[in-house]
Amino acid sequence: MNGLISGSLKASAVAAAMAFAIGGGASDAHADCGEVSITEMNWASASVVTNVAKFVMEQGYGCKVTVVPSDTVPAATSLAENGEPDIATEMWINSAPVYQKLEAEGKVKTIANVLSDGGAEHWLIPKYLADKHPELKTIEGVLANPELVGGRFHNCPEGWGCRIVNDSLKQAFDLEGNGIEVFDHGSGETLAGSIAAAYADEKPWFGYYWAPTALLGKYEMVPVDLGPYNDEIHQCNRNTECNRVGKSPYPSARVVTGVTTTFADREPEVVEMLSKLSFTNQQMGAVLAWKEDNNASSEEAAVHFLTTYNDVWGDWLNADAKSKLARLLK
Amino acid sequence: MGTYEPIFSALGLRSWCESGEQSGGGPVSMADLLAQNAGTDAPAPSIWEMPFPSMDELHEACAAFPQSRVLTKGLEDGFLGIKDGLSLVLDPITQPLSWFLEGALWLFETTPWWIMIPALLAVVLVVSRSRKLTVFVGLCLLTFAFIDYYSFAAQTLAVIFVCAILCVVLGVPIGIAMARSDRLQRAIIPILDMLQTLPAFVYLIPLIFLFSVTEPKLYGIAIILYAIVPVIRLTDLGIRLVDPDVIEAADAFGMTDRQKLMKVQIPLALPNIMAGVNQTIMMSLSMVVIASLVSAPGLGVLVLRGIRNLELGVGLVSGLGIVVLAVILDRTTKLALARINAGQDR
Repeated sequence: MNGLISGSLKASAVAAAMAFAIGGGASDAHADCGEVSITEMNWASASVVTNVAKFVMEQGYGCKVTVVPSDTVPAATSLAENGEPDIATEMWINSAPVYQKLEAEGKVKTIANVLSDGGAEHWLIPKYLADKHPELKTIEGVLANPELVGGRFHNCPEGWGCRIVNDSLKQAFDLEGNGIEVFDHGSGETLAGSIAAAYADEKPWFGYYWAPTALLGKYEMVPVDLGPYNDEIHQCNRNTECNRVGKSPYPSARVVTGVTTTFADREPEVVEMLSKLSFTNQQMGAVLAWKEDNNASSEEAAVHFLTTYNDVWGDWLNADAKSKLARLLK
Repeated sequence: MGTYEPIFSALGLRSWCESGEQSGGGPVSMADLLAQNAGTDAPAPSIWEMPFPSMDELHEACAAFPQSRVLTKGLEDGFLGIKDGLSLVLDPITQPLSWFLEGALWLFETTPWWIMIPALLAVVLVVSRSRKLTVFVGLCLLTFAFIDYYSFAAQTLAVIFVCAILCVVLGVPIGIAMARSDRLQRAIIPILDMLQTLPAFVYLIPLIFLFSVTEPKLYGIAIILYAIVPVIRLTDLGIRLVDPDVIEAADAFGMTDRQKLMKVQIPLALPNIMAGVNQTIMMSLSMVVIASLVSAPGLGVLVLRGIRNLELGVGLVSGLGIVVLAVILDRTTKLALARINAGQDR
């Protein structure tokens, strides 16, 4: 009796499994590309980039996309050690020297400047302060009036690339000698928190931050003019070994999409699309500001970009993908 | 459209729902975008795919129903509203902590090593009366100094020193109060549970709005709130565990409550209290790295640098440095505890 029942159960289980397999197989028939892994860095603009790329790859090219939450240095290391993930996007390569080494070795291909204007790094003051005291828009004005900026410079945490540059610049401009105490933050969260706290009470603030970020989309800040850019001086400022520090602002940072060479060989169509995938600071800034105003999630911000800028991303696609996404490209 | 739309229609709330629709379109979800692309309305989900009637799901069905993010935003706005009042109350209370930390850091940093190291060894010897331990501590300190980690280790010691003392000074009275009142104990235990499990960053970032992030009291509070729990729990336990017969005898002798506390209960509870102090010191050391995330100086900064730059060696050595400091403090307090116990068993 029991044997019969378990026998029939087994038969129906096998039948169900076969149905799943066939059903599953049917959907795979449309897959043009295989499994793809892409990084999602833990800041807002990177989230938008990854979600947009994921949508286009899944809906336009039929890929099965796995999102890997990551950060700049871990992503570069993972590429170096494991050759994974396939796509590393929003790589701020100035902060990951190991990435350039990988490029030289041919393990990784940089295919696009995903932020076409480059990332912006500045010493900033809040807009309300700049409006009240326009002389603070230059570094000379700040050094002459340290009490107006709160007598303090908010420095990057240890381990960020900007920390090295700021430590060089603070010597070159002699911040401490001019009555500005340099406060080294322990983490990016406290740095961001200090901006938010200052803005909440309209208190003075002077320090480093970078764009495009949700924070700068929310709190308007004005850069302090550090003078003309000098590449030689900046290279020395970036280098912990170099002592001849000098005065130079930050250049725009290269923010790239990198893919492993194995992936590039495997999926040339997808790589072609990714090489065109890029955002201007104006576009990204607008999306992040919209995200802040509407209290939206990163996915919704990506959707906003896809619906608002459909003339922009239409050009990234090949003909096949364009036909699949025709309804959205109208 | 949402799964639960029929419910709202049935309840006659259609017009209220429609009034909530944002003109110009609010955020569109990815699911809706995919549906747009497919050109059909998303098919009604089967029973296996039916979503829970959460706030977001009901919002899908009825635009006037608030989303769950309204709740979190409301909390944030509420906090920003009360922060000025809170700051007025909390700032002066916690200011002494800033002074102590700044003073201790100044002391440990400016005292030259040839005074500091012998002084520390003298303290260890007096407290533990163990030559073996003193030699071990000496070797550790000299190794730190030799590998250029002395200033970081001194800063960490200064911070732990201040925080551990404040934990004991604040925690033991609270433990005693808890031991005497069951109601107080029932009220405080959930708070202790929360302090031990709530991630520190959750309350630290809002604290940046109350105090300036440059104040040492930010990381002082982080360490104290986490590390004070063992000493409170074990003081409470120790006093409650005092033999009721002894308490009865004390009552028979006509001792006042205060005399009982000072002369009977605390001395008998001392082993448990000392165990609590030992654990408090250990837990404050475990908070070193989180404290460095909110700008505390010391070995935590090196650990973070190692993590962020993937300098594995730096991370390992500074992590081991924290372990060594923990071992030193643990052995010293354990030997002090053993001496107190030995003094007890006359």
